[in-house]
Amino acid sequence: MSWALRRRIVLAGTIPALLTARAATAQAWPAQPIRLVVPFAPGGTTDLVARLVAAGLQERLGVSVIVENRAGAGATVGSEIVARSAPDGYTLVMSNIASHGISPSVYRGRVRYDAVTDFSHIALVITNPTVWVANPRAGIRTLQDAAARAKSPSGLDVATSGAGSSNHLMVVRMGQLIGKELNHIPFRGAGPAMQAVIAGQVPMMSDSLPSAASHIRQGSVIAVAMASAQRHPAFPDVPTFREQGFDLASDSWFGLSAPAGTPAPIVERIHRETMAFLAMPETRARFSELGGTPGDLTPEGYADFVRREVAAWAPLVQASGATPD
Amino acid sequence: MDLVANLAHGFGVALTLNNLLFCLIGCLIGTAIGVLPGIGPVATISLLLPITFGQPATTAIIMLAGIYYGAQYGGSTTAILLNLPGEVSSVVTTLEGYKMARRGRAGAALTIAALGSFFAGTFSTILVAASGPLLTQVALSFGPADYFSLMLLGLVISAVLAQGSVVKSIGMVVFGVSLGMVGTDVQTGQQRFTFGIPELSDGVGFVSIAMGMFGIAEIILNLERPESRSVMSGKVGSLMMTRDEVRRSIPSVLRGTALGSILGILPGGGAALASFGSYMMERKLSKYRHEFGSGAIEGVAGPESANNAASQTSFIPLLTLGIPANAVMALMVGALIIQGIQPGPRMVEAQPDLFWGLIASMWVGNLMLLVINLPLVGMWVKLLAVPYRHMYPSIMIFCAIGVYSLQNNVFDVYQTVFFGIFGYLCSKLRLEGAPMLIGFVLGPMMEEHLRRAMLLSRGDVMVFIERPISATMLAIAAVALGAMLLPNLRKGKDAALAEGG
Amino acid sequence: MKINTKDLLSAAILISLALIGLWLNMDHTMGTARRMGPGYMPWLSFMLQLILGCIVLGFSLFSGPDPLEKWTSQEVAFLIAGGVVGMAAGIGAAHMPGWFSSGWNPLGIGMFVGCMVPSIVKSWRPLFLISAAFALFGLMLEPVGLMAAIAASVALSALADETHKPLGVLGLVVFLCVLCWAVFIYELDIRVPVWPQF
Repeated sequence: MSWALRRRIVLAGTIPALLTARAATAQAWPAQPIRLVVPFAPGGTTDLVARLVAAGLQERLGVSVIVENRAGAGATVGSEIVARSAPDGYTLVMSNIASHGISPSVYRGRVRYDAVTDFSHIALVITNPTVWVANPRAGIRTLQDAAARAKSPSGLDVATSGAGSSNHLMVVRMGQLIGKELNHIPFRGAGPAMQAVIAGQVPMMSDSLPSAASHIRQGSVIAVAMASAQRHPAFPDVPTFREQGFDLASDSWFGLSAPAGTPAPIVERIHRETMAFLAMPETRARFSELGGTPGDLTPEGYADFVRREVAAWAPLVQASGATPD
Repeated sequence: MDLVANLAHGFGVALTLNNLLFCLIGCLIGTAIGVLPGIGPVATISLLLPITFGQPATTAIIMLAGIYYGAQYGGSTTAILLNLPGEVSSVVTTLEGYKMARRGRAGAALTIAALGSFFAGTFSTILVAASGPLLTQVALSFGPADYFSLMLLGLVISAVLAQGSVVKSIGMVVFGVSLGMVGTDVQTGQQRFTFGIPELSDGVGFVSIAMGMFGIAEIILNLERPESRSVMSGKVGSLMMTRDEVRRSIPSVLRGTALGSILGILPGGGAALASFGSYMMERKLSKYRHEFGSGAIEGVAGPESANNAASQTSFIPLLTLGIPANAVMALMVGALIIQGIQPGPRMVEAQPDLFWGLIASMWVGNLMLLVINLPLVGMWVKLLAVPYRHMYPSIMIFCAIGVYSLQNNVFDVYQTVFFGIFGYLCSKLRLEGAPMLIGFVLGPMMEEHLRRAMLLSRGDVMVFIERPISATMLAIAAVALGAMLLPNLRKGKDAALAEGG
Repeated sequence: MKINTKDLLSAAILISLALIGLWLNMDHTMGTARRMGPGYMPWLSFMLQLILGCIVLGFSLFSGPDPLEKWTSQEVAFLIAGGVVGMAAGIGAAHMPGWFSSGWNPLGIGMFVGCMVPSIVKSWRPLFLISAAFALFGLMLEPVGLMAAIAASVALSALADETHKPLGVLGLVVFLCVLCWAVFIYELDIRVPVWPQF
């Protein structure tokens, strides 16, 4: 490049550069794109809901919200990344029943964050029941079929979104009710697990309703049982576990959290915008289609909720004997 | 002639002025992003998603797809010109492409990369349109055992990527697999080989390894031999492909397209295997295989076509099952869901505009990339005329910023220094980096599939032989291994005999 | 016997890394073939690496001669000195208060110092000055910002090539600062401190 040209570029470039950079540091939050870590592989409920929330926040905050999938080890890998990040409001995690409820007990001693104290919890986004689905060609229509298969010499394989998820515990507890251990097949998230079920590699799966909903409607899998107290309004034909003689119910929940020490005004702002997004009629419609209930907790309420969940799951995990190995 | 009518409908959608405009924007941005090391398409797409707000879903998806292909094109540019592979598939492109650039044939390498990709894109677009749902069955027929065997085959053939001793390069493949074990065990949460370093709990960064072992090590080696770099910056060479080069490329492009189309359908690793599978094939089948390692055009034409074909057909599982195979596709699903569209088997009937529009725009996007990139070839090649003393600090800075921006963590920068020095050492010892990188990428996937296969088979290893797909893969792997090792052993024996006599 | 030194060293690297890996892997449970523990796959791959290393070792004994370039005693001395001083600097920095011991700075300081020492020898400059410049970039980026980091590491890396002239380097620094600002900050808006922060 010639000297003359380079000089021109320098003159043209430096001055606005100086001005803009100065201006940027003075701006209030949010001045930069926000990263929203999803601790599961694409295609599961966490991912699905995170993308909805990201789009909503993006519109309201006026900056991009980038969803980043960091799967592994019962959602603890992605959550640890966020726990370690700077508490500047630019890194959030889709906290959930696995990463901030069950995994700390299942992965005893291997989780390097405290689900309560290492995070500024912001908002509960969605709660939804768990549903058991089966491949249409697997010959499993009811839980009785499943129990019979489990007791047969071949046993029953059940896919889940990973060890440490509420689905994992469902599989362990169901095995105890049947009296025969189920063969738990963990995946990196509900997306890959669902694919294995549709392909028929694994006959059955325990999944959060939102990620399973569209596959049930499209007929690629059949819903065998809903782990809720009553039949779900969006799927009135699907009997509950209790109706089929197994006393199990399991809700999973998903929320937004930031690293501990995130300034209160930022937490407050994200919470406010999330609540406004959840209150929109479109969001409500979409959520009920997915089979989920929007959350309505304050940041303190959500932090308290997480604390209670962690405490409540510890003895349950202990009793079930669920381990990641 | 449903297909023709459907495609015509699709082109009607894709060729509206608005959609063409967004397709163009997507392709331009994607190309720019692909050229920058370390900046992946996911971050960019997310940044640019807001542009498409207020646009119909079809338009948004068309732009996203444009960025996705554009990034693939851009990635091969830096691989050919600067030996900087930003992603797995372009690792292979560096092998012959960069050698071609050093011989003064950078123009030809870039041209065939663009033309080959365009052809592959055209073919696989038709394939997706004609038999998408049918091909889904292929994806669904692959179980964990089959994936494991496919990847094992991939590792065995990746040893062929090396120019020197096969045993050494298999050693490097396995070392790559071992390196891939660093980080949190996906299943049990155990920290493995992390030495308590939190930054390693998600594994060693691919970009750090690639930038270090290829980009930085190459700078150091070039600085050590001033004579070679003066040759390099002096010789720009003719931009056009010679008639001979065209003739040699055609069969490679065809083979690459076929292989890539098949592998792309397999979610979770298929696409990663496409380009170097094609490289292996060319090295075995090409009439000019003796030129491999010194810049054979087949080694660019085949893998680039395979890569592009695979990136097209990898849409099939998304469109027909509604399950995204990677983060880019998850973004597309996200964009669809926000608009209230659920991708899946019903999308073809429920949203024909979207489905056929997307398919048609795949082709339009490829055409656009060709139109954008062919004239750019001249400009890119001129970059090589910049004196190397100005070039290398720029490459270094771009690598450094790219690596840092992945995590906003300087640890990644230091990690890159480490792999730079290691890469230098390896090249002095003639240990190859490419097989190691492929081992690194496939290793963790193999572990996951191996574990799952064994869980499903209740610990019975026979599953790998009983399943026909898996057995076929293993048989090919065994034959390939034998074919590679035999001449090597014979040579060793000859050497030993010569020694004795 | 014609020893292939390059292969011999390659084998040494493969074998020693495999042995270290296997030793570290003793911490991880193997599990069974059905339920593989975290130690199963690493054990497989390190064992395979060990075996391949041994095969390479076997071949290396009679596939030579393929000697390495000769190192002068000066080169060796400064290489070792670099290693020792770099380690010392890193450990020292870790025990210093404030900026020196925060975050990954001890690692960066150790790398930087360790690379600067051997680059006193001219023939080591390409390798270690480039590495040092890269490490310097990492050290400077967060405290003093992108622009200063670019300037410093470009200037340092320029010493690795004798054909550079001061004015040319200055021009390059300015050009890269503007280009990087335009591409990474203005267009891509990546999160990097641009200017010194006080």
